[in-house]
Amino acid sequence: MNRTVLFVGLLIAAVLVAILFLGLGKDPSEIRSPLIGKPAPSFALREVGTGRTVDVTQFKGKPMVINFWATWCAPCWEEHPVLVANARMLQPDVQFLGVVFQDKEDKILGFLNERGTSYPTVVDEAGKTAIAYGVGGVPETFFLDANGVIRAKYAGPMSPDILRENLQKAMKQ
Amino acid sequence: MTIVLLLLLQLNVPDAAQFVGPPKGTPITGEALFARTNEVGQLLRCPVCQGMSIADSPAEMAVNMKAQVRELLARGYTEEQILKYFELSYGEFVLLRPKSRVLWMLPLLALILGAAVVFIKLRKLEKNEPPTANRQPPTDDPYLSRVRDLVSGGKQ
Repeated sequence: MNRTVLFVGLLIAAVLVAILFLGLGKDPSEIRSPLIGKPAPSFALREVGTGRTVDVTQFKGKPMVINFWATWCAPCWEEHPVLVANARMLQPDVQFLGVVFQDKEDKILGFLNERGTSYPTVVDEAGKTAIAYGVGGVPETFFLDANGVIRAKYAGPMSPDILRENLQKAMKQ
Repeated sequence: MTIVLLLLLQLNVPDAAQFVGPPKGTPITGEALFARTNEVGQLLRCPVCQGMSIADSPAEMAVNMKAQVRELLARGYTEEQILKYFELSYGEFVLLRPKSRVLWMLPLLALILGAAVVFIKLRKLEKNEPPTANRQPPTDDPYLSRVRDLVSGGKQ
């Protein structure tokens, strides 16, 4: 066989294998958001249960964990105890905030009353906040540093290790 | 009524102005707004679907995104501004029509390249191919010589 043809063939195969390897090696939950490294979109939404306005800018000065979820999402049930326990343990140094969208307030309230909570939860009625954050599905969690800059995003249910690892990225800044 | 209720419920949601500045176009209403919403919606990928646009998907996420497109068009945002707004949140993934035209040209380039390779190879083969008569090794075998003569025209 012609050596040039063999060389070009091997080169193309090597490039394809490298692309496949890089793609398969990635964790699909770790979505590179274009918002990482940028200031988090500001919002002020109504808190479930109390009706008071929770403005995200009021928490500037400490790292934040913003969790987008819904009561109809099974992985959100799974991660809920992790978020509640960590929020309880880390407050007042870290602020947790739940943002619920595509859901009904009575269902959210029922869920929180039954399973407990340790941080505020707000309702994003038309999903505009979720869109501004580039949320594709639930649960998705954003980690903000003390200056309100998004440092990490995680799609999927939180485990204590995942939470700690991502929070560290926000604390480092 | 619904709008008033939503305004009461949502006190301050992120606004496109934070990302792409004030509207650069003219506000549209009525039938034109409906048609334009559909057109721009065709250019945006539904993030929870498999390759569907937000104009075609019945998913709640897509419905919310389409409502936002409608609202932005009604406020006078241009198609370019709206696509940019969604791209800033979701990344280039959300655009169904890739920005780089090179991507569209890749299949055509691959076809041209493949045709060129085949053409060059065929030319080389033709050049190196020896004349039919010379391809047959000489032989002392009278029987084989006879067969060859018959096959090549029967002259003796």
